[in-house]
Amino acid sequence: MNGVDVVGSFPVAEVADPTERLAALFDAHYERLYRLARRLTASTDDALDLVQETFLKVARSPKSIPNGLTPEEAWLVRVLVNTRRDQWRKASARRRHDSTASIATNSREFEATLIAQNTVWQTLDVLSPRRRAIVVMHELEELPIPAIASLLGISAITVRWHLSMGRHELMHALKAGGGGTK
Amino acid sequence: MNNLKELLQDADPLRNEPAGSSEHRDAQRMAVLAAASRANRREEATPQSKVRLFAFLAVAVIVVLFLGERVWSPLILEADAAVRFEMRLAEDRRAAGLREAKIAGKDHPIYLHAEVIANNADIAAAHIVPDGDFYDVDIEFKTSGATRMRAATASHIGRPVAFLIDGQVIMAPVVVAPIGSYAEITGNFTKREAERVVKGIIGK
Repeated sequence: MNGVDVVGSFPVAEVADPTERLAALFDAHYERLYRLARRLTASTDDALDLVQETFLKVARSPKSIPNGLTPEEAWLVRVLVNTRRDQWRKASARRRHDSTASIATNSREFEATLIAQNTVWQTLDVLSPRRRAIVVMHELEELPIPAIASLLGISAITVRWHLSMGRHELMHALKAGGGGTK
Repeated sequence: MNNLKELLQDADPLRNEPAGSSEHRDAQRMAVLAAASRANRREEATPQSKVRLFAFLAVAVIVVLFLGERVWSPLILEADAAVRFEMRLAEDRRAAGLREAKIAGKDHPIYLHAEVIANNADIAAAHIVPDGDFYDVDIEFKTSGATRMRAATASHIGRPVAFLIDGQVIMAPVVVAPIGSYAEITGNFTKREAERVVKGIIGK
C-alpha cells in the first residue's frame, strides 16, 4: 500500500464545518466531475457551468451529502447528471432548431478531422443525459456495468438497457448524419 | 461495437483540449464556498423561523390526517389496487396456439404463447426509476423465477417477450440475451402509475 491509498481512504465527510466539508468535497471530486461534465456537454463553458451548478446545489443542501468517498462520488455524479437533465429539458426545443446551423458553422471553421470529431460529438446530443452518461462511462471511462449501476443508483439491467439503446441510437444518428463508422 | 468506441475516443474533447485552467477552478471554488457561507449564515440567523415553520407543518399534518380520512380514502385505495403482472414469450407472426394481442402505443400486434413464464409470485423486489419526464419500473426476480426466465428466454433469442400489466401488453422487447435476475419495464409511466405498478407487483 502506498501513501496515496492511505490518504484516499479517509472520508472527506469527517470534516465537521459545512463550509470546510464543501471545500474538501470540491477538492476531492472536482476533476472527476469536470471530466464527466465535459463529456456530457458541447463545450468547456457548458461543462464549467454544469460543475458549478452541481456544487451550488450541494452548497444549498450540505446535510444531504452521504459519508465516505465512494458514496460522495456516487451522490455528486447523480446530482450532476440530474442537473444536466434539467438543463437538457429546458434547452431541448432550442437545441433541435440550432443543431443544423451549428454543424454548418463549425464546418467552415475547422480542419476536416476536427469536423468529423465534432460531428461525432454533436451526435451524442441525441441521447438523453442519463443514457449519454452511461455510454460515456462505459465507452470512455471504461467503467464496468456494475460500477456504473452503483454510481447512478440503478440496476445493472437498466444500465445494459440504456447502453444497448444508446449504441443503437448513436449508430443510427451517425449513419443518418454522414458521420459514418469504419 | 468497437467502431463506435473508437469514434467516441477519437472525438473525446478531453483528448484534444488542454486541461482546464486553475483560474477557472479557483474562481468556481470561491463562488461555491461563498454560496455555502451565505447559506450557513442564513440558517444560523433564523432559528425562530424554523420553529414557526415546524409549528405550521405540525398543524398542516393534523389537518391533512383529519381530511385524509374523509376525502382521500378512494384515491389511496385506487393507488394500492393489485396489479396482475405476467411475462410471456411472444412471436411477431401468427401461428397455431398463439393469441393475438395489441401492444400499448404500437400499431402492430404481437402473438402471445399460452404459458406464463413469470408472474407476481416470481418477483423479489420492484422499484421505480426516473427516466426523463417518465418513470420506468425495475424488477428483480426470485431465484426460482430467475431460473425459469433464463431457461425460457435462452431459447428465444432474437424473438420478443411480452410484459403484461392487468392483461394489457405494455411492451414486447426483443430478447438480446437470456433474462435472468433483473428486467426493466419502460412503459413511459407517470410517477403515480409507476408507483401503482410497483405496489401491485410486489403486493404491498
